[in-house]
Amino acid sequence: MVIIEKSGALTTIQDMGRTGYERFGVSPAGPMDIRSFVLANLLVGNPKNTAAMEISIIGPTLRFTERGIIAITGCDIAPRRQGKLLEMYKTIEVEAGDVIQMGIAPSGCRAYLAIAGGFAVPKVMGSCATSVQNKIGGKDGRKLKNGDELQVGQPTVALDRLAGRSFSKETFGQKQPVTIQVIMGPQDKEFTDSGINTFLNSTYTVGNDSNRMGYRLEGPVIEHKGDGNIISDGIVTGSVQVPTAGLPIIMLAERQTVGGYTKIATVISADLPKIGQCRPGDTIRFQAVSIDEAQRLYQDMQDDLKQKEIALSSGNRSRTYKIEVNGKPYLFTVEER
Amino acid sequence: MGKATIHFAGDQALLVEFEPEISIRVNMKVRALQYAFEQLKLPGVTELVPTYRALLIHYDSLRLSYKKLTEIVEKQVENLGEVKLPKAIVTEIPVLYEGEYAPDLEEIAKIEKKTEKEIIKIHSQSDYFVYMLGFAPGHPYTARFENAFSFKRRPTPRVSIPGGSIVVQLALSDIIPFEQPCGWNIIGTTPVLACDYRKKQPFLLQAGQWIHHVPIDRKEFDDIKRQVELGSYVCKTYEKKEE
Repeated sequence: MVIIEKSGALTTIQDMGRTGYERFGVSPAGPMDIRSFVLANLLVGNPKNTAAMEISIIGPTLRFTERGIIAITGCDIAPRRQGKLLEMYKTIEVEAGDVIQMGIAPSGCRAYLAIAGGFAVPKVMGSCATSVQNKIGGKDGRKLKNGDELQVGQPTVALDRLAGRSFSKETFGQKQPVTIQVIMGPQDKEFTDSGINTFLNSTYTVGNDSNRMGYRLEGPVIEHKGDGNIISDGIVTGSVQVPTAGLPIIMLAERQTVGGYTKIATVISADLPKIGQCRPGDTIRFQAVSIDEAQRLYQDMQDDLKQKEIALSSGNRSRTYKIEVNGKPYLFTVEER
Repeated sequence: MGKATIHFAGDQALLVEFEPEISIRVNMKVRALQYAFEQLKLPGVTELVPTYRALLIHYDSLRLSYKKLTEIVEKQVENLGEVKLPKAIVTEIPVLYEGEYAPDLEEIAKIEKKTEKEIIKIHSQSDYFVYMLGFAPGHPYTARFENAFSFKRRPTPRVSIPGGSIVVQLALSDIIPFEQPCGWNIIGTTPVLACDYRKKQPFLLQAGQWIHHVPIDRKEFDDIKRQVELGSYVCKTYEKKEE
């Protein structure tokens, strides 16, 4: 069991999100930085879609009541045990009674803590992801609070085999502005040329009232042809809505499923993790790419995760190569024996 | 029958738009395309989200290319006329139009220059079409096709109204599933839940069906509410009669 001694700012249980219920108005939820989320699960030998903890800027303090293996990825949340700093992106063995205290991230926005076996919370509509807005998933449909107790599931890999596993460390938020690639549309025709120009050539600041539902951006006003209203239609994660007042809102994990404002563009899947690591005050610039480029980058992101997974299970004694045969990409792995 | 415009909604979804109007004629195309895709069960299609005049098709680009999906959408749109939709269902929603459960009824009657009884009759005699669900889980957007009210929203929205509220403006009527802020007038309250997470299928309604409001008295309200709490109440449903 893991006991939440201090909950931090906004700590929730997430898996990869809820699929198949958007037509009933249920938001997908899930991690804001899915790449860091998956890396944490891979380190501790979990399937990718295992329930892990999402931590936002101010980290929690956790007490463990049994032996386990954890890993923390994402922004630098400065985890410590008895005052001693622990490495992120590397498995950590915890004993019964251990207290892990996390600090405040100097940059970036989200860290992920995975535990071998995952956090055992009930599934709601097929998913453990917490939607604070819909009050479902995770721990009673809410963020974690002091005193919460979380059960741990059965690990799929023997704990001893997980010791010392690591990925190279990643950093977030140090280079500003962050370039975010988008596919234009679906309603880019509702904006003037000058409006499109403003959107693609300005620097926007992530506003203070940004959260897991969406990021409100501050910066130059984007000009519509009309009043910015449309007949309500479906929204995706990454939709960039521009309401009547002309300032963009990026719709994220706990977004609504439908909306009545024009959407000038959509953040590409490969760049959603970058958005999730932006905090209020960070700056971003948008860059338009083609759908083919966006899907290639998404494929690259998935291939990279696959390669990292293979490297872990073969104890870094392998090399993975990507080749193309008749235009279709294939991964193959050469392992030393 | 069909003519549609296909837009990219990012790299994992296509938005298929029909004519820009809110009408049952256009919405039937959305319904037909959704139904065609439900029958196709195309590997890689992950989610279908119908709205007034558009269908959002989520897909996994690692399993299905947008070129292939676009071709399939175009073909399906061409053949929409041949899609035979299943018979539409009507669900009866019991409504108490009384006292604190209908805080704006008196005002509505004044605006419409009618008696409260006449207002209740207007609201409860028509079938309402469920165009889509959204805003909150289980929240329907419904409309009737005759006798629209003349008023829109209240001048100042209320900070919070309770779940179960039936709210109206013009020809529109919504069921509020959970407590929320709202600027519409409350005409009555239903004891049934539009979204009940205790159930395996939590949602009372789905897009493309109809609802019919049935006036109940205070005793019936309490009675149904008790059954809802026990999870034993089932709304009456029947097939919509052809018009």
